[in-house]
Amino acid sequence: MKKISLMGCPNVGKSVVFSRLTGVSVISSNYPGTTVDFTKGTTAIGGEKFELIDVPGTYSLAPTSKAEEVAQTMLQEGDIVIDVIDSTHLERNLYLTLEILGRKKPTIVALNLWDETKHVGIDIDVDKLEKLLDVPIVPTCAITGEGIKELASKLRDARQSKAIEPMSEEERWLKVGEIVSEVQVVHHRHHTIWERIADTTVKPITGIPIAILVILLTFLFIIVIGNLIIEYLMDPIFYNYYGPWVVGVVNSFSPDGLLHDILIGKSTIESLDFTQSLGLLTTGLYVPFSMVLPFVITFYFMLSLLEDVGYLPRLAVLVDTGLHKLGLHGSAIVPTILGFGCNVPGTLATRILETEKQRFIAVTLMAIAVPCMAQSAMIFGILGRYGMKWIFIVYCTLLMLYIFIGLLLKKIVRGESPELLLEVPPYRKPDPSTLLKKTWSKAYGFLAEAVPFVILGVFIVNLLYVSGVIGVLSTVFSPVLTTLLGLPEGAIVALIMGILRKDVAIGMLLPLGMSPQQLTIACIILTTYFPCIATFFVLLHELGIRDMLKAAGLMITVSLTVGIIMRLILIGI
Amino acid sequence: MMENPLSDMNSDGKPVPLTTLLPGEKAKIVALGRSIRGQHHFRTMGLMEGKIVEIIATQPARGPLVINVEGTQIAIGWGIARHILIQKI
Ligand SMILES: Nc1nc2c(ncn2[C@@H]2O[C@H](COP(=O)(O)OP(=O)(O)O)[C@@H](O)[C@H]2O)c(=O)[nH]1
Ligand SMILES: [Mg+2]
Repeated sequence: MKKISLMGCPNVGKSVVFSRLTGVSVISSNYPGTTVDFTKGTTAIGGEKFELIDVPGTYSLAPTSKAEEVAQTMLQEGDIVIDVIDSTHLERNLYLTLEILGRKKPTIVALNLWDETKHVGIDIDVDKLEKLLDVPIVPTCAITGEGIKELASKLRDARQSKAIEPMSEEERWLKVGEIVSEVQVVHHRHHTIWERIADTTVKPITGIPIAILVILLTFLFIIVIGNLIIEYLMDPIFYNYYGPWVVGVVNSFSPDGLLHDILIGKSTIESLDFTQSLGLLTTGLYVPFSMVLPFVITFYFMLSLLEDVGYLPRLAVLVDTGLHKLGLHGSAIVPTILGFGCNVPGTLATRILETEKQRFIAVTLMAIAVPCMAQSAMIFGILGRYGMKWIFIVYCTLLMLYIFIGLLLKKIVRGESPELLLEVPPYRKPDPSTLLKKTWSKAYGFLAEAVPFVILGVFIVNLLYVSGVIGVLSTVFSPVLTTLLGLPEGAIVALIMGILRKDVAIGMLLPLGMSPQQLTIACIILTTYFPCIATFFVLLHELGIRDMLKAAGLMITVSLTVGIIMRLILIGI
Repeated sequence: MMENPLSDMNSDGKPVPLTTLLPGEKAKIVALGRSIRGQHHFRTMGLMEGKIVEIIATQPARGPLVINVEGTQIAIGWGIARHILIQKI
């Protein structure tokens, strides 16, 4: 099977072209550097099967970063190159194109975002460009699919350019300038009203109020819509249909005993108990599907929307000065927001930061003070019934930790904190079907990852209780838990579970009959003391063992300290 | 309003840092300065000698500038912008 590598600068629409050609949906978003790893797929063109590789976007092949090294290798391994260009930024895109053509692989060029050229007033003479580069060129609009068929059908015409030879960096920029001046006409244009409105979102006087509004509306949307889904969809399904059915089925072959309790706990048809029964088929499914999934869906919908519209880089500009005080810069807001969905992709996304110092700080702060959506959903679920005040206390404490630990780490971690240098892409109208696909793929990813682990977690809890291990551990840790933190000794089960999954862990607090004060302290400790196992392995991979140990030491210290302080404030001595 | 005497001086060619430009003003880039990823990185963002820049927004306390270079908007830290030299037009 021949290999086609899809290459181009970041944010030119490669992932959308990839999806179009393969039918596989990959994550595309409107900020540079989305594709950290490469994706493979297959496609049949004219009866022949090809393997297609979505190569991470780079501006050049000179191996100065990881993404560029990957791009190099991919280029060498591929048989054919599809070079995707952002037609509205011909000049800088052509640099990479000339570099690729210099490598003498059969190449075809997709002039993507062709629709946008009209909006920004750019005319490109495609025929002339084709002559100058000596490879086939096809204008495309990947999101509507225009030109993709032609691209596929011209794939067999992909050829080595005879016009472009390998050259030095200096020569290449000159050549780019030459070509651009020959094929491109830019119509002078005044700023449109929309551009002026767009600019208000990066000016501090207007931008900061807008940012606050956007964040508040996002929160409100997630909470309100999430709750509606629970109330009108998930709970009715669980309580009216699934619950009676599953209890009936289990009762029919195992009316009582150990198996019955492990499967559905103490639930009966008259009193269904999904939150405290700790049954694999009751709590094990209710927690991920009804308590967490609705919020995961609404969160990723909003995140995808903000990403696709192109708001996040603007937010990065506005928070840059603040984040500098924590040793980071504005770009760190993107991984942090991703972390609120799940710390795993959040941690991976810190690769967009330039230095080790920034990455260590960003990753550590995330692990300590950024609860993932599954965890947040459970915090809302169990604290919400006592009033918003308690939820507020948890999140304020986490925010303060984020700031204080950031200030501290900036001082003590060695290394450089460079300044922001980030392209701010134009606002784009999000494509509804891409948006829904993206939301669905993230929600699906959550379910695939969470459901088995939640069920495993509930199963382990059952084992711990049945075997009496909990009793022993409770006694051992009782001094720390009860004396220092003011929690019941049974809370140890939540701390053990938290290493596997935080959502289940918080669920474990429910049967303990704790006061709202105790629940608040427990939620803060569960967020801060250690990452869940999935995040732990990513951290280990990203930080290396030494830095991981440092981060873990910090987490435990912070957690214990803040736990004791909160105990003194909320409960007293 | 009085003319800014400095801007008069600059118009006859002496390069000044990008950070001296005010929102709405335009200038020509004459030198790029340094970035931790090298000058090539600037160029790939469309930031090149000879191009016209316009300041879209500045942030307080020496925060980043948002500039427009031939239709591309770039957010650029104050410390980096300080080393980019421009000629007002
Ligand atoms: N208007 C328009 N937008 C596009 C086109 N192709 C991609 N996009 C959008 O451009 C952004 C970047 O696309 P993506 O595939 O993530 O770029 P990649 O970084 O090269 O993989 C996304 O918001 C896409 O929806 C196109 O042809 N026209
Ligand atoms: Mg991509």
